[in-house]
Amino acid sequence: MRQTRPPRGSRRGSPQLRLRMGFVVIAMVLSVFGARLVQLQGLDPNSYAAMASAEGLVEVDLPAERGDILDRNGKPLAGSVDGLMVVADPQMTSDKAPELARFLYHRLDVDYVDTLKKLREQGSRFEYIARRVPAAKATAVVAAAEHAGFEGLGTRRDPLRDYPAGDVAANLIGFMGTDEPLAGLERTFDRQLAGTDGSARYEVGGGNRIPLGESTVTDPVDGRDLRTTIDLDLQWYTQRVLGQTVQDARGDSGFAVVMDSRTGELLSVADYPTFDANEPTKSPKADLGSRAMQDVYEPGSVEKVLTVSSLMDLGLVTPRTKIAVPPQLQREDRPINDWFTHGTIHLTLAGVIAKSSNIGTVLAADKFEQGQLYDYLHAFGLGQRTDIGVRGETQGLLPDGSAWTHQMQDRIAFGQSLSVNGVQMAAAVNTIANGGVRVSPSLVEGEATTDEGEVVGTDTATKRRVISTQAARDTMRMMERVVDPDVGVAPGAAIPGYRVAGKTGTAQRVGAECGCYDGTFTVSFAGFAPADDPRFTVYVVVQNPRNGGGGGSVGGPAFAKIMSYALQRYAVPPTGTRPSRLPVEW
Amino acid sequence: MSSPVPQVRSRMPRIAEAPSRLAGSRLRTSAVERARLTVVPRTRAQAARMPFVALVSLMLLGGVVGLLLFNTSMQQSSFAATALEGQATTLAARQQGLQMELDRLRDPQRIAAAAQRLGMVQACTPAFLRLGTGTVTGRPCAADGSARFRITPPTPVKPAALDPAPHVVRVTAPPAANTSGDTGDGAAGNGDAGDRKNQQQHQQHQQQQQQTRR
Repeated sequence: MRQTRPPRGSRRGSPQLRLRMGFVVIAMVLSVFGARLVQLQGLDPNSYAAMASAEGLVEVDLPAERGDILDRNGKPLAGSVDGLMVVADPQMTSDKAPELARFLYHRLDVDYVDTLKKLREQGSRFEYIARRVPAAKATAVVAAAEHAGFEGLGTRRDPLRDYPAGDVAANLIGFMGTDEPLAGLERTFDRQLAGTDGSARYEVGGGNRIPLGESTVTDPVDGRDLRTTIDLDLQWYTQRVLGQTVQDARGDSGFAVVMDSRTGELLSVADYPTFDANEPTKSPKADLGSRAMQDVYEPGSVEKVLTVSSLMDLGLVTPRTKIAVPPQLQREDRPINDWFTHGTIHLTLAGVIAKSSNIGTVLAADKFEQGQLYDYLHAFGLGQRTDIGVRGETQGLLPDGSAWTHQMQDRIAFGQSLSVNGVQMAAAVNTIANGGVRVSPSLVEGEATTDEGEVVGTDTATKRRVISTQAARDTMRMMERVVDPDVGVAPGAAIPGYRVAGKTGTAQRVGAECGCYDGTFTVSFAGFAPADDPRFTVYVVVQNPRNGGGGGSVGGPAFAKIMSYALQRYAVPPTGTRPSRLPVEW
Repeated sequence: MSSPVPQVRSRMPRIAEAPSRLAGSRLRTSAVERARLTVVPRTRAQAARMPFVALVSLMLLGGVVGLLLFNTSMQQSSFAATALEGQATTLAARQQGLQMELDRLRDPQRIAAAAQRLGMVQACTPAFLRLGTGTVTGRPCAADGSARFRITPPTPVKPAALDPAPHVVRVTAPPAANTSGDTGDGAAGNGDAGDRKNQQQHQQHQQQQQQTRR
């Protein structure tokens, strides 16, 4: 191409020059673009990408709904209500913070200063204002705030734990803290109840989800319900009767256990004093557990039925075995006394049980060979946890091996020098009710895994024969004499029309300070009805009654009330057979 | 499309010429005369462009409009979903609230309290009436309510510091002003004295007030 001369008189310069200038300008602009590109993509690409995606992208947690804790009929003992949390975006609320804090203080009953601080939080876009507010209330408050011209409030799902029956079975269920379970079944079976939270990420525009926008949803897995063997109404009744009993006896505390004799299902495990699961902080810490499971105590004379039934299983005695009971029995360095003063009396074994004679029981227990009583008591379940799923259960104290001396056997024979927990003892007495077969107690219907990995529940309940059917039957007939108004010590436990078998217990208590018997007592009554075809075993224990009452006068009437209610509730008619007339004296 | 045509063209003469070798020349010439084919100019149908363009643009337009409508309807359903979600949440909250209320109403404590307010008492012993035979099992007795069933714990005893003994001030009531003449002078005198005392107090009070005003 030939070079052409520039046209004369042109002021724009030569095209070549202009072309070069143009290229230079374009190159400069392009290099600016290039530098910017390097800056955006090369130096810090992620933060910009994150900023871009954060625009309009919402990420929410989808909390799993906590499983309910139900009674045996499916009534909720603990339920989850769809609550909401009220949250604030301080960037939007800081301008009107004092007014909004005042508004919230009035409507949600939150602390004014705390709320004010949260509403002004620097650099935060999410603050909890109130947790676990019933959904209807939270929505109303946020709507009212919007109406009043406040911005930046919102709600999120936040399940609320509700205990409809308040203190009923609270000793077993436990309670929830703000975020995690703190006690009882709530904590033990948290893995099953809690479920797994889900989450969702999606883009929104104007409050609506953008279709075809980014959207990831991990569905929450709701917790599974835990069904217990507790009967809500019976539990309530037992708690109230127990409360009245402890109050009237001016006792420290007490507990009552109602057990289905055939299946070992616990229909009621009541404690007094107890707490309201909706407001656990209002009760002293000592009342927040289950004394029936967590406290040890000496069972006292109730244990005599285990001693005597073991003797009968070995064929060493019969209900008519004659025993001459001296006023006092000197054993090694200590005398053994009865609870009532008497001269030398002639009691049959049935009389020993009916009158609850320590001396008579010790004389009968002399027929045991070394180690036999221990083996029986161990088979009855003493000294081992019942493992029903209650936290912190004590295993009790059953001396063995070298600790088991002859003097100790004398005391163990009538229920001292060994310690038990309430459910353990109820299950032991229930062995006699169930014809000599010990059925392990259970609190959970079906099966469930505790936080320690143990599988518990009715499905894992075990049965094992401890004493023969005949021994159990004879023991039952002797126990019937206890509630006899003429010969027994606990006529108050009788239920007119029914055959009732029972045994009183009045044991000296070991004081916490001195580690010795401190002059206070544990009074109790264990029994079952109808005696010849038992359906329920009820065990009532009152610690340190100050009205001078014993197992018969304190525990007996409470037993009768609870048992009457259970029989009526489950429509168990009297068997119509004649009660035992075993002779008590000779 | 154009490939079969040359084949036909090249084959036709051969077919026409093939019998010519066998038959006589006269017959040959006439037959060939008759059989000679001439190339027909290809007639290319000129398809009208307008319908095609119209069709394509219609499809494009339809596609765009359809996509727009689809998007709009999706957006619409998104709005509806948001509204329905809100409604579902409200209804669920309401249902839960009602369920909670129901559980509260079923609370044995509440039922027992209501029953006691109605004057109901505990049954004394369980007894059963067999409807078929009319026989009664158990030993029924009249529930007289003598053993009161306490369903609420008694109010706790407050420590002495919080519950001081009531401070009792015994005041001898001033006898009525217009007593009958029989009770006589003594009473009247007392009354006078009291009045005077009151007056004095009143005067003192007034003086104090004046002092404070000054």
